[in-house]
Amino acid sequence: MSFASALPLLTLMTSLVAALVIFMLPEQRQGLRTLLNLTAAVVKLGLVAIMVAGVFRGEDYSISYTLLPGVEFILRADALSVMFAGLSAVLWLFTTIYAVGYLEGAPNRSRFFGFFSLCVASTMGIALAGNLFTFLLFYEMLTLSTYPLVVHRGTRKAVRAGNSYLAYTLTGGVVLLLGVAWLHTLFGDLPFAATGHFQQVDPALHGTLALIFLILITGLAVKSAIFPLHGWLPTAMVAPAPVSALLHAVAVVKAGAFGIVRVVYDIYGIEFAYALGVLEPLGWLAAFTILYGSVRALSQTDLKRRLAFSTVSQVSYIVLGVTLFGPIGTIGGLVHLLHQGVMKITLFFCAGNYAETLGVHRIDELDGAGRRMPLTSIAFTLGAFGMMGAPPLAGFVTKWMLGSGALASGMLWVIPVLVASTLLNAAYFLPILYRLWFATPKGWSQERRWGRLETHSWLLWPPLLTAALTVLLGILASAPFSPLSWAELVAAREYLP
Amino acid sequence: MSALIWGAVLLPLLLPLLVVLQLPARGLRLVLPWLPVPALVLALSYEAPWALHLPYLLLGASWGLDDVRQLMLLAASLLWLCAGLYASAYIRAEGLRRYSALWGLTLAGNLGLILSLDLASFYTFFALMTFAGYGLVIHDRTKEALWAGKVYLVMAIVGEMAVLSGLLLASHQAGSLQLASLPEAVAGAENGLWIFALLLVGFGVKAGLPLLHFWLPLAHPVAPTPASAVLSGAMIKGGLLGWVLVLPLGLPGYTGLGQALVVLGALGSLGGAALGLLQQRPKTVLAYSSISQMGLMTLLVGSAIAAPHQASLIVPVIALYALHHGLAKGALFLAVGLKWPDSGWPRWLGWGLVMLPGLALAGLPFTSGAAAKTAMKGVLQPDQLGFGLAHLLPALMAAGAMATTLLILRYLVCLRDTITTGYNTGAILAGWGGLTFISLLLFWWLPWPQVGELASLARLGSLKDAWGLTWPLLAAGAVAWPWLRRLRSGPQPGSHTP
Repeated sequence: MSFASALPLLTLMTSLVAALVIFMLPEQRQGLRTLLNLTAAVVKLGLVAIMVAGVFRGEDYSISYTLLPGVEFILRADALSVMFAGLSAVLWLFTTIYAVGYLEGAPNRSRFFGFFSLCVASTMGIALAGNLFTFLLFYEMLTLSTYPLVVHRGTRKAVRAGNSYLAYTLTGGVVLLLGVAWLHTLFGDLPFAATGHFQQVDPALHGTLALIFLILITGLAVKSAIFPLHGWLPTAMVAPAPVSALLHAVAVVKAGAFGIVRVVYDIYGIEFAYALGVLEPLGWLAAFTILYGSVRALSQTDLKRRLAFSTVSQVSYIVLGVTLFGPIGTIGGLVHLLHQGVMKITLFFCAGNYAETLGVHRIDELDGAGRRMPLTSIAFTLGAFGMMGAPPLAGFVTKWMLGSGALASGMLWVIPVLVASTLLNAAYFLPILYRLWFATPKGWSQERRWGRLETHSWLLWPPLLTAALTVLLGILASAPFSPLSWAELVAAREYLP
Repeated sequence: MSALIWGAVLLPLLLPLLVVLQLPARGLRLVLPWLPVPALVLALSYEAPWALHLPYLLLGASWGLDDVRQLMLLAASLLWLCAGLYASAYIRAEGLRRYSALWGLTLAGNLGLILSLDLASFYTFFALMTFAGYGLVIHDRTKEALWAGKVYLVMAIVGEMAVLSGLLLASHQAGSLQLASLPEAVAGAENGLWIFALLLVGFGVKAGLPLLHFWLPLAHPVAPTPASAVLSGAMIKGGLLGWVLVLPLGLPGYTGLGQALVVLGALGSLGGAALGLLQQRPKTVLAYSSISQMGLMTLLVGSAIAAPHQASLIVPVIALYALHHGLAKGALFLAVGLKWPDSGWPRWLGWGLVMLPGLALAGLPFTSGAAAKTAMKGVLQPDQLGFGLAHLLPALMAAGAMATTLLILRYLVCLRDTITTGYNTGAILAGWGGLTFISLLLFWWLPWPQVGELASLARLGSLKDAWGLTWPLLAAGAVAWPWLRRLRSGPQPGSHTP
């Protein structure tokens, strides 16, 4: 096995090994655990960077192992997988730093960081999975490794949220399994391949394939929180802030969305899925979810719950982009996979900072927080404007691409949806910004101080860096290796046979 | 050039950065006025159109300057410079940090949108100006300011959405992200009417188009005085520039819509003045005067659409008019915050200096207004334009000049009721005095005559021209005689009339 073909496996193993070692470390070895966590995160980032450069040059990293006759375990790095792996690797580093600061002095950190690393490993597996079977394996592993994180605090509310999460995602997993198995009995093992597998398929099978598509998407829709399967997400908000950040920005919802991308592009093939007529209903559902999530977000008084419904809305942007038939729509959807992650993680980091520093959970307690915590509030402001799609931030690039993609594919109805969603986003984010910057502080009863900085420095740097990234991804959208340029690369490979 | 254009856009952003870095208030006051200097140098050193391509930026950006943009940039940078001087002394310590940060951001947006050649940059700077401008409007956080801010923000966001949809449709049609390619795309598009309407309405909110203007008389007066000046003088021109850049000026096919725009402009011009006459507060009167003046510019835009063959003549006049109005209106706004000398000749000199930019707006000979109005008359010849409504334009312009004169007199009366005696700090005096000076005198040395035909259009050719400009002023003066008398024997400074 050469170094090159081992790269996907190594990337996966860094987190897996870190997880095992952390589980075995005694609770009080905090320094060593932090060092281990950060080293693993940095090494993984380096490995992903090597793969990104390689894939750009056209190299192919893959490794496969036959488990049973006809069932293969494949890890493979293509343009799409390194996109998701890159997002995970970057945001994981930030989340690790944040989590270390957030959980300082809290109990059960060994367990937390163990599952945390396991969760990274699963996400990497999902990104690098080379066929549906491998994808499913890591998809389920993600469910199981995030459950302990959701219930980490052990309160009754947390356990209830965890149970709801488990019920939703395991059911979704079973449905997905059904779809994968059905597809396997018909076609055998299907590796993910650009432009899909079914162009030459017997037209008699079209009905069956449409049904299987429905099953697969239903299974994936749970994690990507598409209406009406989004119920677990706002409930899971009881989890600690880094976990929420992770569930929302990178791991869970993105695993679902990424799965949908894989099924549409690399199993069915975008052209075939379009011809099959399954894209348009999915597009309507995504559009509905976009508006539904925003409308629900309006009436939330809890900051994290409002952000949660915002996620429901924003993840469906990705799905909407996928269903817009045409390369520009694809670019819009794929680029949002990254952009939404960066922006949403910023918002959750900030929400965590307000909670940890000022004891604030409700939106009406945020009055004047901008003066007390200016840097956190600047980060939050950038994240919120990004979500609204205000230029020059990352969200604008997404919105522009989705809008152009919709026009290119003749789906004019998408424009009013985008406009309405922007207006709703403004309606639920701008009042928060007003409170932060213009309202008079009423004082905070549980305020804590950390020396000169507005909050613990490990809590402050991650949102500042991701907020800076939100700006840079928009301003330098057309630079080489930007998410936009990379999405264009992926789209070029998906459409040109 | 490319260093200057970067400086023009980036230097204003230095101020928010300094705020974040906790620069003391004194430092902020020192830095605040000088942010528009690179933009001013850029505008003054302009010779011929040029562009800077920035392929990595946004969706592939290009920035640059051309004839119209130069005049816009000149007006904006001069106005922001003088208003900045004024603001550096006017804004109290409480809230200075936030004000400075928002000032820099709004300024960057205002200058950047003028310099943008591609629509992503344009929309970016436009939005930056809008959102940061909200903070300037509600700076005092009175109940009134908050309400005005809410109306401003809601209308602005709805406008932005119309702009975004319009730009998306237009650029899809054009297959390009360059602003210059949009007018033809709008003109040639199957759904061109929709695109036209979206862009008209979207930018119309900012430009104070009648029925989309409601935010303007609320927001302009409640902002701190230097912010009112830039809002009314420079920022609303962002909407005007948007129209000029993306609507099909000079392209056939929209005679009807062009004429509708002419009617809307006339409505804004006269209606704005009429409503302004009913107001009590000097800044509100000025805000309505801005609606009225923007109405004239709307009328010019409409004419350039309805009479495409004349557009190449009309467009420079729009820019010239915007320059003249921006400087004069800025000077009038800044005068509102002045402290007045007790009595005697300094006081009369003060009235004279406050009044002149106002009379310039009405077209007093030998002022910038005379140049702008003469140029306007020159391009709005009914027989040249040739569309149905064109023959009404001369009468309309005379009526407009009369209405403006009345409005300015109303402003002076209201101002007199609110003034307080005292001394002005040097920066405030320099800001107001400088802008007044520039709007009255420097205007003639500014390099606008290089814009082709303007030079000949703007000079008073004969006594007849001068009379054409003067009689509406005199007529309005006669109508307002009772008022003028009241002005002379009016209440003592500082007291309010019920």
